[in-house]
This record gives sequence, C-alpha cells and structure tokens, in this order.
Amino acid sequence: MLIVDGLTKHFEGGKGITDVSFTVNQGEVFGFLGPNGAGKSTTIRHIMGFMKPDKGHVSIKGLDSWSKHSEVQKLIGYLPGEIAFIEGMNGKEFLTFLADMQGVDSSVKRARLIERLQFDASTPIRKMSKGMKQKVGIVAAFMHDPELIILDEPTSGLDPLMQQTFIELVLEEKAKGTTFLMSSHSFTEIERTCDRAAIIKEGRVVALNNMHELQSMQRKLVVIVFERNDDAKQFALTSGLPIVSQGDSRVTIAVQGNYNELIRRCANFEIRSIDVTAQNLEDIFMHYYDQKENAL
Amino acid sequence: MNLPLLKLMLKINMKGVSNYAFGSAFYIVIMFWLYPGIADNSGALNDLLASMPDGLVSAFNIQGGFGSMEAFISGEYYGLILPILLSIFTIMVSTGLMARLVDQGSMAYLLSTPTSRRRIAMTQASVLAFGLLMILLITTAAGYLGYFWFIGDRYEFDSSRFLLMNTVALALFIAIGGISFLVSSVANDEKKALGLSGAIVFGMFGLDMLGKISENVEWLRFASLFALYQPSEIASGGGNPLLSSAILLAVGIVAFAAGIVSFSKRDLPL
Repeated sequence: MLIVDGLTKHFEGGKGITDVSFTVNQGEVFGFLGPNGAGKSTTIRHIMGFMKPDKGHVSIKGLDSWSKHSEVQKLIGYLPGEIAFIEGMNGKEFLTFLADMQGVDSSVKRARLIERLQFDASTPIRKMSKGMKQKVGIVAAFMHDPELIILDEPTSGLDPLMQQTFIELVLEEKAKGTTFLMSSHSFTEIERTCDRAAIIKEGRVVALNNMHELQSMQRKLVVIVFERNDDAKQFALTSGLPIVSQGDSRVTIAVQGNYNELIRRCANFEIRSIDVTAQNLEDIFMHYYDQKENAL
Repeated sequence: MNLPLLKLMLKINMKGVSNYAFGSAFYIVIMFWLYPGIADNSGALNDLLASMPDGLVSAFNIQGGFGSMEAFISGEYYGLILPILLSIFTIMVSTGLMARLVDQGSMAYLLSTPTSRRRIAMTQASVLAFGLLMILLITTAAGYLGYFWFIGDRYEFDSSRFLLMNTVALALFIAIGGISFLVSSVANDEKKALGLSGAIVFGMFGLDMLGKISENVEWLRFASLFALYQPSEIASGGGNPLLSSAILLAVGIVAFAAGIVSFSKRDLPL
C-alpha cells in the first residue's frame, strides 16, 4: 500500500531525516513513534507530496507521491499535525467545501461522524477549541472513505472519552480494510490500535517491529510501596531486579518484559501499593536505544 | 481552475473587492461632480500650475492641467489616488491568496484533495486578476455615470482617452499583481511576503515619482513599471498607451506564470 524507501531530506541547520524506510501493508494500522522533533511530520509531509525528497521516494499503490501528488490524494485521508482551516467559515461549511474539492458525495458519512464525535459543526472555526478543531479534522480525514488514512498526532486535544471513541472509529475502519499510518509521541496511544510500529529518533528509524515485540521491549518503571521499611530494604537487596531508586518504604524498579519475576519476588512481602509511572518515549525504550548505540 | 475553490475564494474576497470598487467609484463620481466648478476657474488654476516647479507638477501627474475633464481626472485621481488604492489592494489580496494559506497551514487541506498545485495556484491567480478587473470596470462605469449626471455636453470630455487610461491602469496592475503573486507564491511567511511585495510596489512607485521630479535622476524611472503608466500624457493624447499596455500585460502574464510554476515545484512547510 505505502512504501517509504530510503527517504532523505536535510534542512538548513542540520535537521532532517536520513534513510527512512518502511512499508505499510494493505489493511494494516501502522504506528509511527518518536519524540517531538524526531522527523515524524517531515516524513508525513513527504508522503503527502508537500516536499520533494533529496533522496529516496514514497509510493502509494505504486504511484510516486511527489510526481503524482494529485492522483495520490484520491486514495488518502489526512489529518495534519497542526490543523489550520480556512478563515471565516464554520465547521459545516468547511467540511462541505472540502467534500466538493474531494469530489465525493460524503454527506451521509459526514453526518454520522459528526454525531459520533459529538460536536456542533455550525460553530465558527475561529471560536473552536483545540479539541473541536481536532474533531473537524478527523471528520475531514475519514468522511470520503479513503483507502489510506494518515493521521499526524490524532488524539492531541481530545479528552480520554473521545480518545476512546477515536480508537473505536479506527478499529471499525480497519475492519473494513482501510489502511492507517498514525504518528504519535505516546506509546500507549499506538499500543491500543497498531499492528506494527516504527520508532524514529533524530531523523532515523531505530526500530521497526510488531506490537508484541515492542511491548516486550518496553521499559516500565514500577513503584512499589511496602508496608514495612525493612521489607523494602530486604527486597532491594535480594530481588536481583534493576533498582532505579529507593527510599523508606518505596522502591522503584525498571521492568522490561520480566513481569513474572517481579510478581514472584513481590509475593513474599506485604505490599501497600503498586504504581506504574508514565514515561516519555526515550525512557520507555531507553534500554533499546542504548543497545543500538553501543552496537554502532 | 478548480470550481469549488474559485467559488470559495471569490466569496471570501468579494467583500474586499466591493469595498475598493465602491470607494473608487464614489471618489470618481465626486470628482466629476466637482469639475464644473473648477472648469469655470481653469484659467486661474492653470496659471497656478504654471507657477509651480515643473518636476513637482509632473511627479504628481497633474501636468495635464484643468482644461478638459480627462485632464482633470487624470491628475486628480488616476495620477495618485487610484495607483495607491490598487497597490494596497493588490499587495493585500495576493499575499492572502497564497502566502497566508501556506503560513497558516490551511494550504495543506487544499493540497490533500485531488487537485494539482498548478490548478490551485491558477485559481488563486485568477481571483486576484478578477478582483482588479472588477474594481476598474466599476470605476470606469462610475466615471461614465458621473459624466452623464454632471457634465453632459457642457464641458469637453474625450471618452476614448478616458477608456485608454483605464486600460493602461488595468494592464499596470495585472503586471504588479503578477509580481506580488510571484512573491506570495514563493514565500513561507505571510509577513515577509507582505513586506517584500509592499517594498517592491511602493519602491517602484517612488522611483517613478523621483525620476519625474528631477531630470538628473530620470533614469530611475526605467526601473519602474509605473513609468509605463502616464495618465496625464494619455489625457493630452500623447504617449503610446497601447504599446505600454501590451508590455505591462506581458510582464503580468510572465510573472503570474512564474508564480504558478514555482509554487508547484517547491517544498512546502505544511
């Protein structure tokens, strides 16, 4: 469906992407993970044909996305990372205009999506909140039943309940055979929908795996609070698990795939609470990044 | 051309176009209304003009004097107010049609539909050209209206010279529109596009004025498209307005084409 092959683009000031390659198969939900500024949006801009690569190419169903950009767009639904609509319109007018430009009668699906995402489409765009713009953007990307939907940070600005609705929406479309490319800086967001994911860092793809593999590579920090301070000390000394920090009755452990061992060790002690802390992407895959760097 | 986009852009820009068009029409009607009072004293006013330095008179395009209606209107409107008005319109609209959409990012939506960049740019260019045409058509029509209302057969009025003045004005602003459109098409930043086209257009306007004030720096005018637009010469039947129009139109078409082509080939930071 989508082939990104050796994509390279350098900007003034040293930023850019180098030799980015991955393939997204028909009917697959592909995650594109990376911290802010890693090159996710730059890659997506090339896929959309907004930029000409220095080297390499992107093709969608065999069509080059730069030289055949207007034909390629028939296959794509797109949600930009930073949404900007045309000024002086309301949501409904904008969506109708876009449907005219897309050349597809999508009024039925559009109405259904608006109802699903629960927003007032007649709100003027300049009065819309970030989340509301995001919803209009999602409708715009889905309404014309494209074969490939490209979403740049789709859930930013959405509340948790709407994030859930969004995930359901993606899974329904996937069941119909729609292909997705979804970028994110949050692993949990990708985890729930994607089959495979690529991790990009400083403009290079550092990992390309299916979701199960990524989940087992994932490094989580688990905070265990023991009933007794002595237990905490005892645990830290004897468990053999990598201790990140320790204080009074609290021990923080880095876990990477070895959940069973953690549970077994903990079972010997009285435990007051367990917390899994949220981490940024680099921390989650720190171990993995380190290995890569050492290998180079 | 893309029809939905054309419709939307005309709708968005129609208010601006009609504001400029009616402002311009109103002004020209007032000028026609004022003329009879001035014409009766034209002898005294022409003496006054004669007593002023030649350079200053020609810089403000009032050397035509007050002897005929078209001479009067060429000095009082076509020489200074109209070019300034249309320059502002052209700079604002050309920036709004391209650079603003790229700067804000809404161009991403236009490009995510199955329309080529070339067609989008052509549509936007035609909106600017259409706006200029509308303003000048309404201005010309208002001139005739003023003539029938206030002048009639009482004073001299050469209708073909008046039409030529409007034609050259349109050609001039197609050329200037083309240049601002080119600037707007290659800019990523709305403010930079606005600043650069403003500097180019008003720079050329200034060069033409300076060149006329002093013969020592007359060569400055060769760098200015405004040199090809001399309403007072046309009013007195001189100059070569058709050749000027042809050159200006050619410059305009080349500049618009360059804008469209460079937009369709460049990297967009969307």
